[in-house]
Amino acid sequence: MPSLIRTLRSVRRVGLREWWRQMQYIGDAKSGTFVGKDQFGNRYFENVNQYEEVPGRHRWVDYAQHNYNATQVPAEWHSWIQHIRKEPPTEDAIMKSSSPPWQAPWVENLTGTRGAYKPYNTVAPKINAWEPKITPRS
Amino acid sequence: MSFARPRIIMGLQPRLLVTPRAVSLHSAMLARRLLSTSTCSHAQHSQNSNGQDGPSSGMAARTRHTDPAAPRYDAHGNELNPYAGGQSAIDKAVHLFFFTEIIRGMWIVLENFFRPPYTIMYPFEKGPLSPRFRGEHALRRYPSGEERCIACKLCEAICPAQAITIESEARLDGSRKTTKYDIDMTKCIYCGFCAEACPVDAIVETQNQEFSTETREELLYNKEKLLANGDRAEAEIAANLRADHLYR
Ligand code: SF4
Ligand code: SF4
Repeated sequence: MPSLIRTLRSVRRVGLREWWRQMQYIGDAKSGTFVGKDQFGNRYFENVNQYEEVPGRHRWVDYAQHNYNATQVPAEWHSWIQHIRKEPPTEDAIMKSSSPPWQAPWVENLTGTRGAYKPYNTVAPKINAWEPKITPRS
Repeated sequence: MSFARPRIIMGLQPRLLVTPRAVSLHSAMLARRLLSTSTCSHAQHSQNSNGQDGPSSGMAARTRHTDPAAPRYDAHGNELNPYAGGQSAIDKAVHLFFFTEIIRGMWIVLENFFRPPYTIMYPFEKGPLSPRFRGEHALRRYPSGEERCIACKLCEAICPAQAITIESEARLDGSRKTTKYDIDMTKCIYCGFCAEACPVDAIVETQNQEFSTETREELLYNKEKLLANGDRAEAEIAANLRADHLYR
């Protein structure tokens, strides 16, 4: 909904500096309430006012990294930003209680980099090449 | 339905009284009540509030289950034909499809031209997903950290794409565990049967849909990769299973 009034209202609310950052990344001036920040520094916002954001665009993320990527959102926030859960993980009691102590840190999709997953066999191979053994002559 | 309603009032009016011109005009007006003006179940904000509450689809309020055209009877108890004296089906079709349809189609285009776009700026804003969404696979663990899979191979048996390969062995403590649990994600059709078949909720499909890779090889998941997926997203998986457990 890029109308002039909405743009001016958002610029007035978030300030010129934040607006410039938004134009570099989201490409649209958006303003709303700050919901939280994840462990990577990505910031999450929400605006449920129907006159300011159309439904479906009312939750958004501001990525911390310049090379942003949809998988930089960790799983807990992923379920908030994809509207699977209503409350953000900072307030969601069920999400908090189901986080086990052994939960591994989130890693983004590393395809195309040296950290990419490479499949390997987890069992001993069943087919082996014949390695001839020579009985030493006496 | 929208054609039938005004004809009921006319009853057994002889067809000659209605001039063809009036009929065409009338039906053109009626035709506007069809698709573009009928209600639909899109999520909307409630109109009479301050706009601060979330969107909702007021389906219940707008769905009525009463019959709009109750049958009429004449003095002898015979049911009257509500279509008698009206237009023929061909007349209706002509007015509906040849002219008003084009106009109404163009009107919808014009309406949407002045509406805010529903485009979602993807990596920043994302569309809604169900907790039942079937995305990337993961193997789960018990809260104690012990892996759930008991190597029963039900998932391997049910997989319609034959994407799962399992080999198992007894561990030193006597419990049977898989030594090889491979899913070929290029074969998988994301049907979710493996998650349905699993007796201990070990294999699940997470809500992660962003696991595209640059090489085909990276999609041949082994057990370590699947367990790592589960370890990273356990909170989300458990919360989704909990949200859905009453319906399973
Ligand atoms: S989702 Fe369906 S096709 Fe994919 S591994 Fe599970 S059972 Fe096989
Ligand atoms: S993932 Fe579930 S169904 Fe498949 S072998 Fe393990 S316990 Fe059985």
